[in-house]
Amino acid sequence: MLAGITGRRWVFIGALGLMGLLLFVPGLHSEYLNLTFRNILMFAAMSYGWNMIGGYTGYVSFGNVVFFGIGAYCSAVLSTHGINNLFADVALALVVNVIFAVLIGLPILRLRGHYFGIATLAVGLAAFDVANNLDVLGGSGGVELKQIDQAHFYLYYYAMWAVTLVCMLATFFIARSKLGYAFVAIRENEEAAQVLGISPTRYKVIAWAIGAMMGGAAGAVFGPANGFLDPGTAFAIDNTVYPIAMAILGGMGTASGPFIGALLLSGVNEILQQHFLTIHALFFGIIIVLMMLFLPRGLMYLVGLRGGMRRWLSDLQAYRA
Amino acid sequence: MSVASENGVSLRIEHVGMRFGGLRALDDVSFDVERGTILGLIGPNGSGKTTMMNVVSGVYKPTSGRVMYGGKRIADVPTHEVCHLGIARTFQVVKPFASLTVRENVAVGAMYGRLGAKRSARDAFARTNELLELVALARVADRPASDLTIPDRKRLEVAKALALDPDLILLDEVMAGLNASEVDEALDLLRSINARGVTLIVVEHLMKAIMSISRRIVVLAEGKKIAEGTPQEVTSSPAVIEAYLGARFAKRQETDRARREGG
Amino acid sequence: MALAIHGLNASYGDVRVLWDVSLEVGEGEIVALIGNNGAGKSSLLGAISGLVHIDSGSVTYAGRELAHLPPDAVVRAGVIQVPQNRRLFGALTVRENLLMGAYLRSDKEVDADLERVLILLPRLRERYDYLAGRLSGGEQQMVAIARGLMGRPKMLLIDEMSLGLAPVLVDQLLEILQQIHASGVAILMVEQDVQTALEFAERAYVLETGRIILSGPAAQLLDDPSVKKAYLGV
Repeated sequence: MLAGITGRRWVFIGALGLMGLLLFVPGLHSEYLNLTFRNILMFAAMSYGWNMIGGYTGYVSFGNVVFFGIGAYCSAVLSTHGINNLFADVALALVVNVIFAVLIGLPILRLRGHYFGIATLAVGLAAFDVANNLDVLGGSGGVELKQIDQAHFYLYYYAMWAVTLVCMLATFFIARSKLGYAFVAIRENEEAAQVLGISPTRYKVIAWAIGAMMGGAAGAVFGPANGFLDPGTAFAIDNTVYPIAMAILGGMGTASGPFIGALLLSGVNEILQQHFLTIHALFFGIIIVLMMLFLPRGLMYLVGLRGGMRRWLSDLQAYRA
Repeated sequence: MSVASENGVSLRIEHVGMRFGGLRALDDVSFDVERGTILGLIGPNGSGKTTMMNVVSGVYKPTSGRVMYGGKRIADVPTHEVCHLGIARTFQVVKPFASLTVRENVAVGAMYGRLGAKRSARDAFARTNELLELVALARVADRPASDLTIPDRKRLEVAKALALDPDLILLDEVMAGLNASEVDEALDLLRSINARGVTLIVVEHLMKAIMSISRRIVVLAEGKKIAEGTPQEVTSSPAVIEAYLGARFAKRQETDRARREGG
Repeated sequence: MALAIHGLNASYGDVRVLWDVSLEVGEGEIVALIGNNGAGKSSLLGAISGLVHIDSGSVTYAGRELAHLPPDAVVRAGVIQVPQNRRLFGALTVRENLLMGAYLRSDKEVDADLERVLILLPRLRERYDYLAGRLSGGEQQMVAIARGLMGRPKMLLIDEMSLGLAPVLVDQLLEILQQIHASGVAILMVEQDVQTALEFAERAYVLETGRIILSGPAAQLLDDPSVKKAYLGV
């Protein structure tokens, strides 16, 4: 979203450093911290998935939760057939999600702007309905049990950590590759991108599929980690809203944004819940509104911002009527 | 950078007609463009110039007639394939990638243009140096494209077109809104591009500019070709004066000519 | 004196675009404002119309101060702008665009004025129910001028009328402007086509990077060597 799509590699290295710190969480032997940070990592991975199609390519999707759900259900299905291997879970989730992303993406990515958003919303809602009604997935408000392995509780943490790390690195390198430029070109001006030889459909589907893999991998680890899966859990509204909010907060279309956004959002959420349990949502909403008013491009916008205050103010004008 | 390809860039428009439902945008238009020359395309708004550009670049398939480019017929080419034929276009309404730097804008063309498949991102960026020098944008290479002035944005459009390694460039009113000295600079740039062997088709309303740069001019009015020839021939044609140039222009030409001969 | 601008300073946010500009347009006069891109010509018209923020200085019309008034007040005072790039309501028909021009009027003569405008610009009668966005550039410019006229202006500010138009069309529009002028409306025209502007106007001002650097009778400026060099090249 900023001039050029490079120039913030120091922040990214810092983010990697923070990731490194997160490796020590299991060592603290606190289930609470373990769960909290595992969720942060999970949402971060989902956010990276959204960021690829929404942030870099500019196609704002409200249905990426479907990939997460599919990933989780892949693990569930494997589990009901006796396979309880995280590698298999993730592998299946990746394959199924890519196929699904391409099949759904080819038609709906031809839609522009709002229409695309609405179509993805429909996909997300449809996925919930399908999961609810398909008995083979444990269906109707239905419950699905999976093996939870107490001894390897921390394994799930490291698995989620690894997924998130891969998402971060993949995003960083893609952003600086030819592929990344195709995505950004489409976002900035789809017609101009076409004129320069970029097939929009092709590259949009690629972005969508990469994002699908990221969300799917997160889901695949979540399933077994949670030990339980039902449509309400897989397709919870949080799973749509948080990844988007995190990317926006941290910085859409950047490699560090989703991770930083995830830390911040969760951190703020936690603090608010501690102090204002009953009305924490209100303060949360206020913070989001303030962010939209003053930092619509997220925190990463502030990094490498040339022109200081003046630039910031004039950029804000672009968002105001 | 030699752009003259083996296939030849002769463009042949043969009895092209274009109909949109009941509307006839082009009616039996024929002309040739010699490789390595500059052709001016003029005519009132609504005369079919933009439609002609779309037909020439292969985006539209003519409802009658055909377009032969490099000896091959072109039609129904998806927009993103046009540059792979060797044809580049600039647009009247410039389309920069606002958040990217000037250099990155040009690099995207080098990455996905005709020779882009074989280029890595690094190679593409290396290519931008030469192109930015040519269009005199080297000094703002690393500024966001959104910061550019209008004349610089137009230069950027041209640089992006060049990044596609074209044999033929269609320039759609690239000089609209430029002042006299900017027009001079633009003409110099076009001449230097042409000198490298790139064929140009220039659509413009600035008569002085078109006359000074075109080897030949084709005049369209209401979808038909009403004149073709050298700038001199075309601007003296009564049909062209009536349909496009107007009496004031003709009179000015007269006085200019008289002054030159009298002086 | 119809329009009198004195010591005008204006900015877009932090960026100053006009420095100490003074300019006059007499009643029923045609005055041209020429200059390069970015010189501030459109900003000046914007300042008069109340669209650009005025830092200091005055803009009076028929003795009344217009500076700092909201745009609709400027229109009510009789000063109407025909903006650059026409700015038509593309999804509305020609007729609807014209009616929008009369938006602030509550008098009964709107229909009579519509008829008058169509007589002046007969092409619009043919295109009356077409969507404005579908018209050719020249036709759109006609609609823009007609829409301006529907507000019963005493003065028209015309911004870059000739952009992207065929010469013969510019001639037609100039004839129309001549007729409008003959009915007593003053015209301040911003033009990129300096030759045309100086041939058409009675007086002219030259604006460069936000400052008036030259002014005088149009014919005189046409012969001025510095004008010739800077603006009449090629």
